[in-house]
Amino acid sequence: MKKIILFLIIPVVCFAQSNKSDEILNLVKENFNKIKDYQVNVHIKVDVNFIKVPEGDATIYFKQPDKIKLKSEGFAMLPKEGINFSPLNFLTGDYTSIFDKEENVDDNPCYLIKVIPLGDKSDLILTNLWVDKKQYIIRKIESTTKSNGTFIIELNYDKDIKYPLPSSMVFSFNVQKMEIPVGVMGDADEINKTEEEPRRKSKATSGKVYVNYSDYKINIGLPDNIFEKEEK
Amino acid sequence: MITLINIELYKIFKKWRTYIGFLVIAVIVPVINFAMLAEGEKSLDFMTRNLQQSFVFVGNLLNGYLVSYFILISLAVHIPFLITLVAGDLLAGEATAGTYRILITRPVSRMNIISSKFIAGFIYTAFLVLWLAIMSLGIGMIIFGVGELIVVKSSGIIIFARNDVFWRFLGAYGFAILSMTVVTALAFLFSSLVENAIGPIISTMAIIIVFLIVSALQINFFRKIEPYLFTTYMSSWRLFFDDPVDYAALYKSIAILAGHIALFFGATVLIFKRKDILT
Repeated sequence: MKKIILFLIIPVVCFAQSNKSDEILNLVKENFNKIKDYQVNVHIKVDVNFIKVPEGDATIYFKQPDKIKLKSEGFAMLPKEGINFSPLNFLTGDYTSIFDKEENVDDNPCYLIKVIPLGDKSDLILTNLWVDKKQYIIRKIESTTKSNGTFIIELNYDKDIKYPLPSSMVFSFNVQKMEIPVGVMGDADEINKTEEEPRRKSKATSGKVYVNYSDYKINIGLPDNIFEKEEK
Repeated sequence: MITLINIELYKIFKKWRTYIGFLVIAVIVPVINFAMLAEGEKSLDFMTRNLQQSFVFVGNLLNGYLVSYFILISLAVHIPFLITLVAGDLLAGEATAGTYRILITRPVSRMNIISSKFIAGFIYTAFLVLWLAIMSLGIGMIIFGVGELIVVKSSGIIIFARNDVFWRFLGAYGFAILSMTVVTALAFLFSSLVENAIGPIISTMAIIIVFLIVSALQINFFRKIEPYLFTTYMSSWRLFFDDPVDYAALYKSIAILAGHIALFFGATVLIFKRKDILT
């Protein structure tokens, strides 16, 4: 008898969990879909031990559903997964979601939702989304990918926001330290290298990218040609 | 002394071989620039392909600074040959031309003669490196413009802001003048030993080539003697393209190279002062 009861209860509980998470995610999507396009200035600081890059400024252009462009007068770089924090990125294709628990992120009460893509097309394996309980905005994303390891995106927002767009972001990631082809440059590390200093081997390393957003221009009707690839 | 230097400079720039170095640079630098115009993007893609897997980046990385950096790497090994063409002839040329005795009979000390010749050789060396700097930075900037400089090392990638690059090139070219002066001093030393310029040119180049081969071979025995070879420190101009610049290593390299110049010049003075001029 107990087995029968359990057999009946477990799917009901799971369905309820899934149903709740879908409701939350639908509200997040709905909230984000208020944005048709936007343009924002960003200040980027990259902190990765094997890449030294000067802090830079750039402009990000976004248009629904997935057009994105990074433009800069100087040099600017952003992690591929960090350039566009749209929740739709993590909620495309077939997926299943589970409501895990409620948890605070920087004193903001949030729902923790686990999103698992179905099939093997997606590069994502598992994504945890911390969704703000009051505003249905994403406060934190932790995602594990097949190709680029695990990354965490922490998003901060201004107090009174009309659109779910952050004022700053911290993108943390773990990557395998790259084997860098020195090619025609030769290897400057060979200079003054002593016998005791063996070549540094490839190993996992972590990094952070800090992005500050300013001067949002939202729903201004960005033309499609902004997103076209520029001829070099 | 200035008159003596002027006379020596006149002698140097009167010979057509002096202009071979300038001509070679004037030809090779535009050729490298045009090659980079055609293939530079591919080279850059190759260097940054691992980076592109994880990052999106924008900006003009193929610029005059990058091309000048390539040229400096490529030519740093070959410039010594152009220098020995002149430096090896400074004293031996007098013997070949039969003007040693006339020169020595003038009311000028041997020390002044040798110093003026060496200073004139140094001025030629500096001009040649400056010509390389003007040509590579000038043509590179005209064709590719300026931008951030990417330096790829086995330990990582450094991208220098565009306003943080020019002083590094000034430092690197300054250092190149110092390291090339070692070559001048060595060729000058050999030039004092013989009566034909071919000997000093070949001997200097032979020493540099042997030292470079020893440095390039990844054999423990050679690794041990590498710190005692002056060629090891000649490429220390690259320290300017590190962040932060390792000034301790840089000063050490400068001191070692300056020491070699003093040693070679001192030996030349000793030999020349005692030299029995028979030609």
